[in-house]
Amino acid sequence: MTSESALIGSVCRLYSFLLYAYPPDFRRQYGRPMEQLFRDRCRDLARSSDRGRLLRFAAHVMADWLGTTVRERASAIWSAGRSSGKRSSVTEWAVTLLIYLFATTTLVQAYVVPTGSMEGNLLVGDHMLVDRMAYADPGPIGRHILPYRDVERGDIIAFLYPEDIRQTYVKRVIGLPGDRIRLENGQLIRNGCRLAEHYTQHLANHSYVATENFPIAPDGYTTPRGRDMFEHHVRDGELIVPPGMLFALGDNRDNSADSRAWGFVPRSYVVGKPLLVYWSYDAPTEELQQWSLDHIIDVSQHFFTRTRWKRTLLVPRSQRAEPAGGAL
Amino acid sequence: MSKNQSTQELLPLTPPVFHILLALAGEERHGYGIMQDVAQQTDGALQLGPGTLYGCLKRMVAAGLVEESGERPDPELDDERRRYYRMTPLGKRIVRAEAQRLAGAVTVAMARLAGENA
Repeated sequence: MTSESALIGSVCRLYSFLLYAYPPDFRRQYGRPMEQLFRDRCRDLARSSDRGRLLRFAAHVMADWLGTTVRERASAIWSAGRSSGKRSSVTEWAVTLLIYLFATTTLVQAYVVPTGSMEGNLLVGDHMLVDRMAYADPGPIGRHILPYRDVERGDIIAFLYPEDIRQTYVKRVIGLPGDRIRLENGQLIRNGCRLAEHYTQHLANHSYVATENFPIAPDGYTTPRGRDMFEHHVRDGELIVPPGMLFALGDNRDNSADSRAWGFVPRSYVVGKPLLVYWSYDAPTEELQQWSLDHIIDVSQHFFTRTRWKRTLLVPRSQRAEPAGGAL
Repeated sequence: MSKNQSTQELLPLTPPVFHILLALAGEERHGYGIMQDVAQQTDGALQLGPGTLYGCLKRMVAAGLVEESGERPDPELDDERRRYYRMTPLGKRIVRAEAQRLAGAVTVAMARLAGENA
């Protein structure tokens, strides 16, 4: 109980810090009861020990905070404009912006899906938030309250592309350290077990990499890291994932440049877990990678028709591969 | 806003304001009590975050629909002092008027939709 209350205490301190984004008058008047409410809710959720409810509450409080800070700021400026004693609202907005920046850079990151390698589950033009805390070890205390767990097979992860860390890629984790991986006519065989992957798609009518069978001799698409993987980590026709590395593939198997071509993803390159799609806009790859004037005009003209409304607030999910057929 | 304005000007109420008033209809409650009761009223469909709840309460106090009724501990929770809210007579009139307005709308809807099916 003592460690739990220490934990709730630290989460509550984080929340009271976030309260500084509200206008000073509002915070003075309602800050304390808001903290109290937050603490009461945390205690109730800690008792139920259901991680899903905790995560939903955290997301809900963040959304509530984002919406209501703007609303209260606007209303404070509105009433300040009417009364004579107008205070320096510039510094107040600066404080809010700084706190927004802190929250958006450490907790979540916006990311757009530029290619169709996860097609079927993530579409080109899906704008999503990546939960940066999901796979970041919060330390021995935080581990109990933050919804932390290590990367598992079947998770969708966002990570820095090992060949060029300026790019962020999204793929599905297929192999953890120690796993033996093989693909035979497109079917995944992991640790000697044939697996059915319901999340994969075969949408392309051509093969981008030699995709059906793996590992085979490196071909023209293989990068230096990929060649290193083929040279050092293949034994008896199977790939063995080394410690500290992950093997990740795109769901759109026939049209995905993934671990088969450029090798393993270092665990430390994992940025986080896609949290939700906040906007999905139908546009070609090049326009999504770099905002140009044409793209801005295009978005303003076609915002309502080309936004895929059904995908708004969609949550990408982890999916496990299931055994198919017998063991080998 | 003045406390004497006619009830019509305040209608229709937003869903959070309506449900907060309903939560305070029977008894005085503190913030967390209101949040829990609103979730219960709506089968969990309406979860008020701290910012939404206290933003609404601020506006409702200004409009004279509710008032603070002091701070005291909640015997069911712990010995921390919590700020309680209660509904004013104006709040009572307003929530009743809103309920009637909604009932009227439901009656119309039922009649129209029943006709459509026949």
